[in-house]
Amino acid sequence: MIKLYDYVLSANCYKIRFLLSILDIEYETVLVDFYPGREHKGEDFRRDVNPLGHIPVIDDDGFVMRDAHAILVYLAAKYDSSKQWYPVEDPVRLGETAQWLTFADGTTNTASAARLHVNMGYDFAIDAVRAGAHELFRVADEHLWFREQQGDAWLVSGSHPTIADLAVFPDVTMAEEGGVDLLDYPALVRWADRVKQIPGFLVMPGIFPFGGGQ
Amino acid sequence: MAVAISTPLDRANAMTRWHPVATEHDVATRSLFRGKLLGHEIVVWRADDGFVNVWENRCLHRGVRLSIGSNTGSELVCRYHAWRYANRSAGCTYIPAHPADSPARTITNKTFPSVQKYGLIWTAHDPHGDVPNIPVLDRTILDDTRGSDDVLGLRNVAVNASVPLVLEHLAQHRFLPSATIGSSSDVGADLAAADMTADVSDYTVTLTATSGHAESTVVFFVQPVDSARSVIRPVLAETASNPTVILRHHAAALARFVRSIESAAAETAAQAPMPAALETPVVLPTVATAVGRSAPLRVTVRRKWETAAGIAAFELVAMDSNTLPTFQPGAHIDVHLSGGIVRQYSITNGPGETDCYRIAVKRDPASKGGSVALHDDIHEGDELQISEPRNSFPLRRNMPHTVLIAGGIGATPLIAMAQALDKNRLNFDLHYFVSNADELAFSELLTSFGERFHSHIGLSPDKTGEQVTALLSAPAATHQVYACGPPPMLDAIRSIADQQGWPGDAVHFEYFENTNEIDQASTFSIDLARSGLTLDVPSGSSILDVLRSNDVPIVSSCEQGACGTCAATVLEGEPLHQDVYLNPSERAAGHTILTCVSRSTGGRLVLDL
Amino acid sequence: MSTALGDRIDSSILDRWHPVAPLEELKPGAIRTTSLLGQRLAIEVDADGNVTTTAVDSPGQNLPTLSKYCYLWVCLGEPNVPLFAVPEVDEPGRRILHAGTIGVHVSAPRAVENFLDMAHFPYVHTDILGEEPHSEVAEYQVHVDPDTNDLWATDCVFWQPMAATTSTTGQLTDYLYRVPHPYCVILYKTSPIDERMDVIALFCQPVADDYIQANMFLCLLDDENSTSMIRNFQLTIFGQDKPILENQYPKCLPLDPSAETPIRADKVAVSYRRWLSDLGVNYGVIPA
Repeated sequence: MIKLYDYVLSANCYKIRFLLSILDIEYETVLVDFYPGREHKGEDFRRDVNPLGHIPVIDDDGFVMRDAHAILVYLAAKYDSSKQWYPVEDPVRLGETAQWLTFADGTTNTASAARLHVNMGYDFAIDAVRAGAHELFRVADEHLWFREQQGDAWLVSGSHPTIADLAVFPDVTMAEEGGVDLLDYPALVRWADRVKQIPGFLVMPGIFPFGGGQ
Repeated sequence: MAVAISTPLDRANAMTRWHPVATEHDVATRSLFRGKLLGHEIVVWRADDGFVNVWENRCLHRGVRLSIGSNTGSELVCRYHAWRYANRSAGCTYIPAHPADSPARTITNKTFPSVQKYGLIWTAHDPHGDVPNIPVLDRTILDDTRGSDDVLGLRNVAVNASVPLVLEHLAQHRFLPSATIGSSSDVGADLAAADMTADVSDYTVTLTATSGHAESTVVFFVQPVDSARSVIRPVLAETASNPTVILRHHAAALARFVRSIESAAAETAAQAPMPAALETPVVLPTVATAVGRSAPLRVTVRRKWETAAGIAAFELVAMDSNTLPTFQPGAHIDVHLSGGIVRQYSITNGPGETDCYRIAVKRDPASKGGSVALHDDIHEGDELQISEPRNSFPLRRNMPHTVLIAGGIGATPLIAMAQALDKNRLNFDLHYFVSNADELAFSELLTSFGERFHSHIGLSPDKTGEQVTALLSAPAATHQVYACGPPPMLDAIRSIADQQGWPGDAVHFEYFENTNEIDQASTFSIDLARSGLTLDVPSGSSILDVLRSNDVPIVSSCEQGACGTCAATVLEGEPLHQDVYLNPSERAAGHTILTCVSRSTGGRLVLDL
Repeated sequence: MSTALGDRIDSSILDRWHPVAPLEELKPGAIRTTSLLGQRLAIEVDADGNVTTTAVDSPGQNLPTLSKYCYLWVCLGEPNVPLFAVPEVDEPGRRILHAGTIGVHVSAPRAVENFLDMAHFPYVHTDILGEEPHSEVAEYQVHVDPDTNDLWATDCVFWQPMAATTSTTGQLTDYLYRVPHPYCVILYKTSPIDERMDVIALFCQPVADDYIQANMFLCLLDDENSTSMIRNFQLTIFGQDKPILENQYPKCLPLDPSAETPIRADKVAVSYRRWLSDLGVNYGVIPA
């Protein structure tokens, strides 16, 4: 069974929980006291789990991987029989997926960083990371607006979401915790609402479901 | 008409004008759109019936943004405590912490009017006049012979600059006529290739680009978000067969242009931001001198039809396109007829059906004129006077299972309840007892309840008793019963329920005729020292109710004993405090009473009113 | 510094102890900066573990400090009011933990009032602290202790699917709430495994009038679960409240009784607002 080294408030860990839920894969959670314990930076963790000292990490029957976006690639390639979440058979869509995964590295370093700064006092140059988040969101908002005009719904072309959508999603939807207002990005907000309606969607503290209260 | 760069926006004037605040696309199914107009945050949402709501973006309870809640298609549910607010009226219809109560009428969000035009949602704070007519856009809509989407909404862009500055600069903006835009959308094309003409007004710049025989006109609407912030909402006055290329051209041209506007804005003196309405506390509206049993509402009969044998249904709509006050399942209205006749009729609407009140009236030849008058003398198009809805039969909306027992026309409040339970995915069974099958009202609606609807036709009183005994044979903590019908039937249900062991508070009755004796033991009187009135407060009525019925001025708000608004001074007598607002010493002193919930320990109170 | 602050901030806040750092995060040889009531502070720990706290504006002037309940507490005025007592920390068999400190862009009184509220359990903490259809808030009692002036809410009951980390099933949970300080609130709740009650507290550090560091303190009856699991539970709960708090306006708590719409379930909130008014609190609130 897959073991996931996890922390409830981590956006990057959430991305893995999200895909595991969509693909309906059973897994075992190993709770890491990321904050306040900073367990991931401790000697034991670095020696036994990830020398770079971060989470998420998975252990799939002995195959150990770090890096949220890389883990998404592996899980989709191995377990998604539809081959849509990581479209290996379509070079164009595969390329786009890789491009937007790199974009998600950008949102991790900006929007997500701002959130860690506000929540847990991480020392980031807060104005710079917020400005960086806005730059990226402006680009994504325009990209998604044009997608909508063409009748598409996701970051990557075509009618099926990919792991790129999952990778960008929590950084966008929790950006306001970091002081990055989403008021100017209505297309991005609509896209986030669509992601919330993907079967298998699950919440985390900081992410509300779409609808509810029926 | 040039506008000086340093001219600030005339906010007072802006409040009287209509402004676009969203695109039709922004109010996609079941979303909640957060916007801002003149410093006020708003939430814009479309209900399933097509109505577009524009409300202040704040829940009256504790000030949480409504835009993080959810849109059920008929109501907006706040994310914090799941308070529900109705489509159109914005009134609170349900508070889960008190599932058996009807929320006070005052719990109604601040609403703004909405109009859909040119692919945009328009609203205003205090409108004088109408949404602007733009002839070039209107002509495009009329000319469109293909019958598909009329004008083309271009990408909207937010800009950190005031409206006057944006207008001034937009007059210099350039783009190409659609026919000359190449397949690559000519993002780097020489925009000087086209001749531009500009027409600038207070919130709009109309630009026409001409090159040879090709000509395109774009109307740029500019929304004032705040003193140094606007949204440019351009609309192209033509239908486009290949919109992507055109959209990209305009998006690129405008994005470039916006950067130059923002540089200019950065060099001008900073404007003070408009007051952020969210930073001012919500003040709960108060209901002052509400008229008691008189009729404040004028409605028109939009539709009248025979829904069953001897039963006429009416759909009543507000006159002057005002919104009808909020109601909850079980509520009724008073209908005023000539000769001083007033009759109560239950509202049969489901949640979110807030554009009319639907009532059903059984013709009763023995009546003193009410039902006969409605059947014979009132027709479609006629005007009626009615009261606001009142609810003495509120549905508890958190029980997993509800048994609804209807006798004849007593079905009307229960039909409203069934629709509410259905919408909230709570189990129910509706048992409708009639003498003949043709007496079942609203039969299409009944069919929609599927297996949860049960009709019982032509049963004798004994057989009815047997049937009810069977229905009530298994009392459970997760079950509740609501019954409405002729008094003998209700009395029988009451005793059967008692015998079967149902707890008293799980079984609810509405008597359409009041044949009970008033319980004198819990009646007391109030002497009003200033108005010189002596009034009786019967059991089941609050002091506030009695004051209102007698046109005594008194303000109220939560009507739950929590906010203190309805306080009155006690001059004599000992209050029986039932509120949660007064502190222990105030209670002990006995000089203040909250009239919405508190009563008297003795037979009389003297109040300073 | 005090006099200038004293002109703006009432003694009911200025002369109280406020938490400024979790003790476990104070490392020898490091200087930690933070802000309290808008004042920048520097907290220094020497090699022997002695802590000194000074205002960045007036270095060399050591502020009164106290180490208690897992936190360092500081007073910017005259510490006339002793820090409230939590006798349970001295009981045997208690697990005492700092669960975490989260920055929240809202005032301390808003956070305290949220902590006092049960009606949101089925909606914000779904399937943990509450679930539909058990949304009703039954009548409870509120009083002010005449000796300590602490505000109490008692006889509170709510159905909870998962009341604590130690829960294996749903239960009706009894709650007691105690407000011993304008910005601190303590909850006593039924433990699934003991007759005594679990103690969970929120101690807010007022960084600014609309910004806090929310410190979560636990004094539990739980020998079995790991620190990670216990922290996971508390941070899940608080992480769910945070976006609600940050979307609440105005950020400072309005004390006027006609502001906002209380209902019967809000009895303790109504009393808390009046209690703050009676104390004369003027920071983090909009006075009536």
